[in-house]
Amino acid sequence: MMPIRHCLTLTLGALKRNRLQTVLAIIGMGVGVGALVTSVALGRGAQHAINEQLRAAGANVIVVTAGNYLQGGGNVGTHEGGEIIGTPTGPKSGDEGTSHNGALLPPQLQLDRPPTESYDGALPIAYSRDDRLGHPTGAVWYGGTGAPWVFMSVHEEDDPFAVHDHPTAAQRLGDSMAGLGAAATLTRKDADAIRAMPGVQYVASSVQEDQRLKVLEGGEEKTWFTYMRGTDDTLPMIRTGWVFPRGAFFTEEDVKAARQVMVLGRVAADHLFGHDANPIGRTVLLWNQKFTVVGVLGSRSWAAQPTPGDHEFDAFYVPVTTVQKLLDLGKLNTITLTTYSVGDTTQIARRIVDLLRQRHKINERMPDDFMVRTEAQLAIGHGLPPSVARVLGGNMAGVDQITIGRIADSLKRANNTMLSLLAGVATVSLLVGGIGIMNILLLSVTERTREIGLRVAVGAQRSDVIMQFVAEAVLLSLVGGLLGTVVGALASGSLERLFKYSIDISIASSLAAIAVAAVLGVIFGVYPARRAAGLDPIEALHHE
Amino acid sequence: MSIISLRNLTKTYQMGDSTVHALRSVSLDVERGEFVTIIGPSGSGKSTMMHILGCLDRPTSGQFLFNGRDVSSLPRDELAGIRNKQIGFVFQGFNLLPRTTALENVEVPLLYNRPVVPAAERHKRALAALTAMGLGDRAHHHPSQLSGGQQQRVAIGRALVNEPNLILADEPTGNLDTKTSVEVMALLQELREKRTITVVLITHDMDVARYGTRIVSIRDGQIVSDRPNIPTRAVEAAAPLSVVNG
Repeated sequence: MMPIRHCLTLTLGALKRNRLQTVLAIIGMGVGVGALVTSVALGRGAQHAINEQLRAAGANVIVVTAGNYLQGGGNVGTHEGGEIIGTPTGPKSGDEGTSHNGALLPPQLQLDRPPTESYDGALPIAYSRDDRLGHPTGAVWYGGTGAPWVFMSVHEEDDPFAVHDHPTAAQRLGDSMAGLGAAATLTRKDADAIRAMPGVQYVASSVQEDQRLKVLEGGEEKTWFTYMRGTDDTLPMIRTGWVFPRGAFFTEEDVKAARQVMVLGRVAADHLFGHDANPIGRTVLLWNQKFTVVGVLGSRSWAAQPTPGDHEFDAFYVPVTTVQKLLDLGKLNTITLTTYSVGDTTQIARRIVDLLRQRHKINERMPDDFMVRTEAQLAIGHGLPPSVARVLGGNMAGVDQITIGRIADSLKRANNTMLSLLAGVATVSLLVGGIGIMNILLLSVTERTREIGLRVAVGAQRSDVIMQFVAEAVLLSLVGGLLGTVVGALASGSLERLFKYSIDISIASSLAAIAVAAVLGVIFGVYPARRAAGLDPIEALHHE
Repeated sequence: MSIISLRNLTKTYQMGDSTVHALRSVSLDVERGEFVTIIGPSGSGKSTMMHILGCLDRPTSGQFLFNGRDVSSLPRDELAGIRNKQIGFVFQGFNLLPRTTALENVEVPLLYNRPVVPAAERHKRALAALTAMGLGDRAHHHPSQLSGGQQQRVAIGRALVNEPNLILADEPTGNLDTKTSVEVMALLQELREKRTITVVLITHDMDVARYGTRIVSIRDGQIVSDRPNIPTRAVEAAAPLSVVNG
């Protein structure tokens, strides 16, 4: 076998000598590779664009809420409150609890103290107790005679079936524990754990409550009762429909330092300062604490206009750390997160459930002490009274099958089809390029018959001849491939400007295309090479 | 020991429906340093004999001993090796690679040497061979920039680059004018005299045949005469030419 450098000398010499052959072969292969590179880039760009649009619709948002809805027929309630005392005695039947209407029911809880109250004919069987408050904050009822389980916990102050429009105990200064109405189950450490998961993009912790803001303006006091969100600096990345007509959202630094800064929603800002005023830098009082306004939040989307009571623009945002510090609070209401790829949302939601069950040391048979919902499910209940929303969200187990998740899947499949089609066409053109090389080499063998005869006469072995022609084919393919990749990249670039896609050239696919070109070179070079090696040198020498 | 020994060499092949007896039981011995010219009309079998002598073809029967070695049954790759190192070819049509320099043309046999000859060494040897042909200053010319005589000399340089014992020339002057033909013949004679290279040349032209030391006539696949000859002195007939130093 000839060494590589030797081979290269021979090959380069031959290619230089037969310019037309060389140029044609390179063009042929170049077009094929260029088409392949461009079409792959186009397909990936389209996928990217689709992803972007779905992302804007919030399809990649997951919300983890402390506390848990139960699914099942009949009455549905929230579990809010402290820990459940008493131990489970095991399921009534079956391995993980009985099933009713397809929903998983908790196993029977052993009574810790006798039930004293009844609700709508259902008897209570156990109480949960929040140790910090020193009084029961929940109860479990069992509906007798075939009625389904009802598992509820009730806050002392609040009836879960009523609409909350009154300030809760949190309003009272210093009383940090009462009234936030959330199960004490989600923490910032949970948020950090979720942040560390692969596929998770932005994570924002949140503590939310109705609160009153006060502004002192020239001796006059203006107040506005609105919705507080103590959250992370990442929330604007998640809520992509936001714009900031004034100022900006607070920063990571603000969150780390638990600064007393505030972003006002449009409605709140209008009511406190008037629509045309600039509230940036002004002071707002929350719990008689001074907060500086750093931004005003408006809506980008015509579909979601700021309206009083909407909890988004009739709201104010402060760093979650500040709230936790001022109220001496360790727990969160919600953790909101986005995933990189819309297609992964359901899978990541499931993984979060597993993660949190593990972190909260939830026994297999016990239900979650949190809820993980994708945006689709949340959208269903948007704007409805909490009780109705609860019922809807809780009862529509299949909600995420028919909404954005499904749409995302269909779009993904459609895009894959398109990508396959494009790639198929490109592969065909690549093959054509390879066949072109083969034809050109075959022609070349004919034209160089005398040369081949001479080489054999002066001592070329059969393998030398084959190597030479295969090497020529490979070199032509490689150069063509390289050229095609460059041209493909340029073409994709101009297409990008034309279609306003972000077209995605990946290094990996370019290298793959070039490697494919080289392999094709070998395949399509072998036949002409063997033809060349099989020539009779005597005839070849006298060939015209 | 003869350099070439043909023993009852027969070559038969099929051409369409008919069988061609190119060589019929030919026997011939050639000693080192001889200048043998083989003369015969077309179809006489002289080309066939040349091909067999050049290890490009195998006899149908009989033996061909080259340097005492029976090469008729050697594998192809070994025959290639013999052609590479021990035989130099000169053709009527020169068979130079077009659009390639004279130097690169002379290098061609060196590319197939086993063991491999590195590039620098190749250039050196090729240049030496070219210079010996008086074409050192035209090393980078392409064949299209050279006269017929110069091209044939490049071809001879190529034939010599591996320093073979045997030169096989197939009508080397067929495409040259009279004056150039004489120059080329002078060159071949000098090679034989100064370097003791055996030359076997085939031609149909008696004037050319007379440059050899032995004339073998062949007709219909058989040797009809084989006689020594006083070679015409091309060296004196030609004007200043060779710088072959041996």
